[in-house]
Amino acid sequence: MRLRTLLACFAVPVTAAAQDGTWALTNARIETVTRGVVERGTIVIRDGIIEAVGANVTAPPDARIVDLAGKRVFPGLIDLTSTLGLPSAPAPAGQGGPGGPAAGQPASATVRNVGLEPGRVIAEELRPSATDVRAARDAGITAVLVAPSRGAFRGLSALVPLRDDSATRYVVRSPVALHMGFEGAQGSGFGGRYPATLLGVIAYERQSMYDAQHHAAQQERYRAGVRGVSRPSYDANLDALVPVVRGALPAFFDAERENEIRRAVAIGDEFDLKLTVVGATEGFRAIDALKRANGVVVSLDFPRPTAVTGWSYRSTQRRALNDSAATDSAVLRMLEANAATLNTAGIRFALSSGGLRAGEFLGNVRKAIAAGLPRDVALQALTVRAAEIAGVGAQLGSIEPGKIANLVVAERDILGDSANVRMVFVDGIRYEVIPPAPSETRRGGRTGGGRAGEREEAGEMARVAGTWDITVTTAEGENRATLTATQSGATLEGSMATELGTVQITDGRVTGQRVTFTITLPISGQTTPIVFRGSVEGSRMTGTVDLGAMGSATFIGDRKP
Amino acid sequence: MRTIAMVLAAVVLSAAASSATAQQRAAPRDTTTKRLSYPVPPAARLVAITNATIMTAAKGTIPKGTIVIRDGKIAAVGADVAVPAGAQVIDGNGKFVIPGIVDAHSHSAAEAINEGTQSITAQVRMEDVLRQDALGLYRELAGGVTTLNILHGSANTIGGQNATVKVRWGLPADSLLFEGAPPGIKFALGENVRQTNRTVLPGQERRYPRTRMGVEELLRDAFTRAQEYRRDWQAYDRARKSAKKGQAPVPPKRDLQLDALVEVLEGKRLVHCHSYRADEILMMLQVAKDFGFRVASFQHVLEGYKVADEIAAAGSGASTFADNWAYKLEAWDAIPHNATLMAERGVRVSINSDSDERARRLYQEAAKAMHYGGASEEEALKMITLHPAWQLGIDKRVGSIEVGKDADLAIFNGHPFAPASRVEMTLIDGRVFFDRNTAPTLEYLMELIRQQQGPRQVTEVVP
Repeated sequence: MRLRTLLACFAVPVTAAAQDGTWALTNARIETVTRGVVERGTIVIRDGIIEAVGANVTAPPDARIVDLAGKRVFPGLIDLTSTLGLPSAPAPAGQGGPGGPAAGQPASATVRNVGLEPGRVIAEELRPSATDVRAARDAGITAVLVAPSRGAFRGLSALVPLRDDSATRYVVRSPVALHMGFEGAQGSGFGGRYPATLLGVIAYERQSMYDAQHHAAQQERYRAGVRGVSRPSYDANLDALVPVVRGALPAFFDAERENEIRRAVAIGDEFDLKLTVVGATEGFRAIDALKRANGVVVSLDFPRPTAVTGWSYRSTQRRALNDSAATDSAVLRMLEANAATLNTAGIRFALSSGGLRAGEFLGNVRKAIAAGLPRDVALQALTVRAAEIAGVGAQLGSIEPGKIANLVVAERDILGDSANVRMVFVDGIRYEVIPPAPSETRRGGRTGGGRAGEREEAGEMARVAGTWDITVTTAEGENRATLTATQSGATLEGSMATELGTVQITDGRVTGQRVTFTITLPISGQTTPIVFRGSVEGSRMTGTVDLGAMGSATFIGDRKP
Repeated sequence: MRTIAMVLAAVVLSAAASSATAQQRAAPRDTTTKRLSYPVPPAARLVAITNATIMTAAKGTIPKGTIVIRDGKIAAVGADVAVPAGAQVIDGNGKFVIPGIVDAHSHSAAEAINEGTQSITAQVRMEDVLRQDALGLYRELAGGVTTLNILHGSANTIGGQNATVKVRWGLPADSLLFEGAPPGIKFALGENVRQTNRTVLPGQERRYPRTRMGVEELLRDAFTRAQEYRRDWQAYDRARKSAKKGQAPVPPKRDLQLDALVEVLEGKRLVHCHSYRADEILMMLQVAKDFGFRVASFQHVLEGYKVADEIAAAGSGASTFADNWAYKLEAWDAIPHNATLMAERGVRVSINSDSDERARRLYQEAAKAMHYGGASEEEALKMITLHPAWQLGIDKRVGSIEVGKDADLAIFNGHPFAPASRVEMTLIDGRVFFDRNTAPTLEYLMELIRQQQGPRQVTEVVP
């Protein structure tokens, strides 16, 4: 009987609708995270909320019973660095609000300052694809914090449950924080919009904070006595900054490398912000600074050894001459041990994907654990601590009565090698996890780490050969070009006709549906390599253009018949 | 300028690499025993450099003398100075000690240089973007440089706020700052700010100003706005003092750009002005006079020899190249005698690098002032020590070997102006930041370059 129930439970067809209602999950090993482990217990879920948890809990008569003997239940994981459901390309010009608040640049009514929009409300923009939601949820992630990944002022983030129906309607919290970073105006650079460089970005952020303080003082004065006081101007972007400079709304500052962390914390100190450092992949070099931050979110998107700050590990980890493989792997170990080092230093942090896909993310969690991070701390960092940092510690992050029923049911440890997640509850709605077909591998993260996913996709290769009409969109406008390409295997060759002349493409590669190539153009008297990275879908190619010092842009290509 | 410098650096490095490879074949070096330790060990509280030729840059040369350093400061200098008990002794026999070299024009420690989007960016600060791991810093230490003026680039008429730093290589970025150095700002004139040498991409707009007329107008307009802004704040301060309780006036909106310009007007922020032509130098002097501030230094100033009297009369310094010109039209009418000619007319002249590469051999650049213009040895030495320190407002602290000053010193194995001499040891605040005996090997530095620049550049650098 029990066996039959179980089989019925798991043999759900792919198209099975999610089920909500009242549940009793019985006979499970329950890892509550905050209240220890119940070796064999029951969880009762009613109306999306955990009603009861424990060894001696009885299933209510109206509940559908799921016998989870031999299975484990964990709180749903939370990823605080996600762009799920955001448009990948910047919104076209003419659709936005006013420009950023900082002095020096007149706001334009027609150009949207992507990345300079503190007042951008992310909860109102969410359009997640069902595939993306399911991919993350199948790995055990049940809620993500969504914010754009670039820009000085990126907007107000939303904590989103990974349900299939609607993202915006069921947002757990919005705004969670104002998200900040060190990137300037898109498509900027010489002749572009202020701020273009790190210099300008920090000055712009500093000026904006002063502007917000002034704006707040004016608003306060106006509210105290409306008569006889000139009213402050309406500015959604400044309005969004006011709670930030008052310390009421946290600022989540994207800072990966040592100097970025120090700069972010310095800005936080200067304006007394409630600052959370997000990223901190070189946090082990800036422990003193991280201790001054209000919160820390450690990204597990490990940097490449060649990308980390240059000197100190070299000196302490010196290896035989010319043995760069040995030194690189030594650096890699330091980077993977970042979370462990911060934990030893007494810093409380959440772990996040840094934008990695779920498989790679959890693979890197295992690497962080292998590098010395206690497994229980890792689980806390993915659940209860993440919830606290997002300001939803009362609703999410552990299996306790009264909390939202976001749960993961797996065969083995969710942070282990082969968790085999079988079902996930989000807001009490049950979602089945379809086991992968036998030919696929689900252990990508373990062997190849961050790059394993690329190999998985290499199976089917896009056909790029032909002629393409390319439109490159920068903040200044559109530039047109024509790509004529030939393809042999993964190698792409050909030429591109641009407004600055026709040039050969170099480094052309096709990996699965992804395509990259480079052209070199004389800009400002300097030969500037311009790197196209995109993906092909039928007769359309979309992606980004790296303009070096001049910033980046997006492009769309349409195949000519 | 930077691009040229980087190409030069690559060429020089590849030459150095091949000669080093040749040396290694002849006599393999024991690299395994040389261990770097970072951050470098803290300074001993008491250090003595004995029996050295001390070129003080202020009070002549002491043929065989001793320098005593106590807690990072120079405690005694002279021929008859006794070595105190317990001092760590550095044997200076046969060696030359000069003050740590001050480079009045550098971009070495900066992660961003030009916020080239607007003609006025007085609000941006080099201090915000310092980096400690730039390889150029280490080369500069190996060339005896201890202080750098990290300047904003020259894309804007009024550029960013500069950062005066000491080359404390290996310590976190914020410990580079020269504590107590007066703040400054970069100005620029001529072709760079007019953007005459820039290709404008389709869709991009030309930026104001397009002519030297416009540059002057922009300066006058900016300082007029700064004067108005200062008046607003003064009015606010008066109103606040006379206001009744509970009726405090609302302060004016703080503007970081104008804050910096007000500091210039009040003489609290030093102006370092990139300039080439005599006419634009005179224009800048006139604008400064009209608004009541002093230009602390003209940078590059290749036609400075034509207006040396005017520069001297205004109390401005001049920071120039030894013999580098003709890289653009406005840099045409230059002569290698420029530094000495200006010095003879009473200008405090420094010789700068504006280049990570040139910075590591500034002592040879100073020697050129003797070679071409006939400057005295002490004057030439001052051009890379005391004079740039004066231009940066830090001459009370560094720039010469005198009692009470910071123990920033470079120890050479021969006369610093002799072509084959090289730096053996560089101290900052009495702390040894470079020691050729424990210096990393070339291969090790190559590895650092690879780490910093990615593999592509290395294939160009390694033979």
